[in-house]
Amino acid sequence: MGESRDETQAEKSSKAGASGPNAAGRDEAAASEGRMLRRWLASGARRERRLEQTGSDPDPRFTFANERTFLAWNRTALALIAAGLAAAQFLKFNWHGLRLIIAVPLIVLGAALALASYLHWEDSERAMRLRQPLRYSWMPRVLTGGIAVVAVCGGILAVVDRLVH
Amino acid sequence: MKRPQSQPTGGTVTPPPDRGDPGLARERTALAWTRSALTMAASGVLIARAAFVGHLPALGVVSAVATAILSALTWRNGQAIYRERRDAFSPQRRQTTAFGLLTVATVLIAATAIVVTVAI
Repeated sequence: MGESRDETQAEKSSKAGASGPNAAGRDEAAASEGRMLRRWLASGARRERRLEQTGSDPDPRFTFANERTFLAWNRTALALIAAGLAAAQFLKFNWHGLRLIIAVPLIVLGAALALASYLHWEDSERAMRLRQPLRYSWMPRVLTGGIAVVAVCGGILAVVDRLVH
Repeated sequence: MKRPQSQPTGGTVTPPPDRGDPGLARERTALAWTRSALTMAASGVLIARAAFVGHLPALGVVSAVATAILSALTWRNGQAIYRERRDAFSPQRRQTTAFGLLTVATVLIAATAIVVTVAI
């Protein structure tokens, strides 16, 4: 069993070697994330097969680490959505609509991070299969900036809401 | 497992797989799925409560059932990782499908959350 697995691995790597130094994979990685998303919605199964045929299997521990990173980002996204829901229910501004300024950006940020975390997972997986360096993600920056902006807005709104009434 | 030598090694250095690893990476990953399932269930409770507060009982019931099913699926995915534990060095699951489902579910939850938020 182990032998046959080694064989398939060798086959895969020889194929990857024959098709040049993975120029196609690099092009794909450089494609815009919007295009990637549309392609993903078009066909998930084809996507899976293509990812499996790219390069050769990385060390499974790295695949697992990548998977855990995706899951952690997904939980962060869900936490942001939950925070938005809590803000909508429990913030008591004198003008009722003001709480939407806090709640909706948090929920939108959660949705955006959920999508981005999937794309980042796929990008990292492809890079690991092709033995290429991993690219940094813009998600931490967006998360930090988003939370900071929402917090500042919350403080300003609280003061304004108190002063007006 | 023989490491292919013809691959271009980029910036990353791949150490040889540690045969002595008793599957701890696998276990951490399974636990991460379990945490995700619990988070999904908790968001389901929150969103259903918010929907009832916003006088949208039908949406509340639908989202509660949907998130319950989703968190059960997520939980099962984690358990599947435990079961595959013996071949600790060959991940054969359909990762893309599971991740895609989780992502789509999260985006749908966000959409429902915005509807509920406006309705409250």
